[in-house]
Amino acid sequence: MLRPPELTPRAEPTWDDALVVEHEVIDGYYHRLVLHSPSITGRATAGQFVMITVPSDGGATVLLPRPMAIHRRRVDTGNLEVIFSVLGRGTAALARIAPGDSLLLTGPLGRGFELPAGAASVLLIAHGSGICAVMTVAEDARAAGMTTSAMLSTAFRSTALGEPDCRELGIDAVFVAEDDGSNTIGLITADLRQRFDTSPPSVIMVCGSGALARAAVALGQRWRTPVQVSVEAHMACGLGYCHGCAAPVATRADEEGPLVCRDGPVFDGYVVA
Amino acid sequence: LADTLADSRDRFFAAAPPPSLYPSAGSGVDVTFIVGTLTLANPVMPASGCFGPELGRLIPVRELGATVTKTVFAGARGGNPAHRLSELAAGMVNSVGIPSRGPAGYLRALHPAYQALGVPTIISVGGHRPQEYAPVVAELLGAGDAYELNVSCPNLERGGTDIGADPHDLRDVVAAVRAETDKPIIVKLPSMISSMPDCARAAEDAGADALCVANSLPSLPIDPLTRRPALGNRIGGLSGPAIRPVVLRLVWLASTAVTIPVIACGGIEAADDALEYFSVGARAIQVGTASFARPFAAVDIARELRARCEAAGVREIAELTR
Repeated sequence: MLRPPELTPRAEPTWDDALVVEHEVIDGYYHRLVLHSPSITGRATAGQFVMITVPSDGGATVLLPRPMAIHRRRVDTGNLEVIFSVLGRGTAALARIAPGDSLLLTGPLGRGFELPAGAASVLLIAHGSGICAVMTVAEDARAAGMTTSAMLSTAFRSTALGEPDCRELGIDAVFVAEDDGSNTIGLITADLRQRFDTSPPSVIMVCGSGALARAAVALGQRWRTPVQVSVEAHMACGLGYCHGCAAPVATRADEEGPLVCRDGPVFDGYVVA
Repeated sequence: LADTLADSRDRFFAAAPPPSLYPSAGSGVDVTFIVGTLTLANPVMPASGCFGPELGRLIPVRELGATVTKTVFAGARGGNPAHRLSELAAGMVNSVGIPSRGPAGYLRALHPAYQALGVPTIISVGGHRPQEYAPVVAELLGAGDAYELNVSCPNLERGGTDIGADPHDLRDVVAAVRAETDKPIIVKLPSMISSMPDCARAAEDAGADALCVANSLPSLPIDPLTRRPALGNRIGGLSGPAIRPVVLRLVWLASTAVTIPVIACGGIEAADDALEYFSVGARAIQVGTASFARPFAAVDIARELRARCEAAGVREIAELTR
């Protein structure tokens, strides 16, 4: 089974012309957008995502909207945050968005991370822009009085994506990076064993790297801890009706398998990693 | 709380014309579309595969002329492996492979949700062999307000040899379904076809009430990084604005070959795109790929076509193109 049955119904998605409140470029590589949409922010649960329609840019249009994890929910201001890096035409166009512009958002979408009943602590493991998919878990964990630890990996040590969020949310985070060789699976696993072998987390949440997801599952098996993994896929609709985002799991010929947008993006790590 | 959760969708719903204006009361504008014995309130509907009951929560579906379901096949099928989508500058290629639960599964799991949307439901019916279509219609037990025969999906196993590209096979399919039902039959033709006039006439002669032109274009996108096929199924169907001039030609060929109405489907993103098709003989349109970026695209087009008629003081949409 990819996930246990959902205990609470998901909020209905909506769409909204969201005002761009802020556009921060992080370390010349990542883009953090603060978008004003009280309706989507107020309904989103941890690990859900939005589809962002890319506005036409000097006559050039991008056909499909882009799925992006909700990085932070600021219910008091009605703002949500997303973080992305420029990978293609769509994100290149979004990187030219300025405060005062508006973006068409559809969301909140998907089944996100779920803190198991009775959990006392959560471990977040993420790489790159996957870091922004797990921060909403820390928001919920803090509200529920759980402790949150994190192992966050980026390409460059100087970036330390998510560092301000960890400070704000009181996350005990270790940052590793590719450029100084500190983010190898061996080093990460050794560090996590040292930190958690005596007192394992109640649940592990992962996003941004297949190798990290597999390492998390190995740790989960060692600690008898559930692992939830958020996966990415090319999507067209984000709601489930286009059936474009088949999840990366073995399926039967006569029955459609799970869709990343509708049944995920978060799945049981023991199945998808 | 209601105020803080207000969003653009609510305003879009609230902007709906009062029901008394639909379809044609009082204003002198008549946007109805007649297909066989069925009259649609307006000529705008979603393209098969690009709509689901999920959209009923996001857009005022009652402002569409009809809904069109994903294709129902005889047996249950899971669809193609990932990746199923590849995006290009002005189009997308999909190899979803049309997951289907079969007629009984459709009736149980999906049809009630379509019915609840409050507009006619056109059920898309598919098959791998000509003789498979009529039994599917029979097993649908009279559900639906019309049937759209998908004789053209190019991304299934028969890559390149669609049933609808052969006038003889096409005639067999339509005649068999005609014998099974009195409900309107729409035939959705392939885009790769040696003679559109021959296929269009074959469908009309066998009893079709309308044609839908056309399905997506068979394509083989390559991943530029790996130089391997970008899709799990290798072959997919190209849709979106890239195919509009191709389909404009096909609609023109079809509409000059038959007297039954032609529904245009191919890269329509806005009312002006729809009017291009009306100018070459289409009498209704389907909106597909555009809905992914703008879920309300089809409703927007329906509103705009009507508003253009009112502003121009004409009775029918076709008059806008003369």
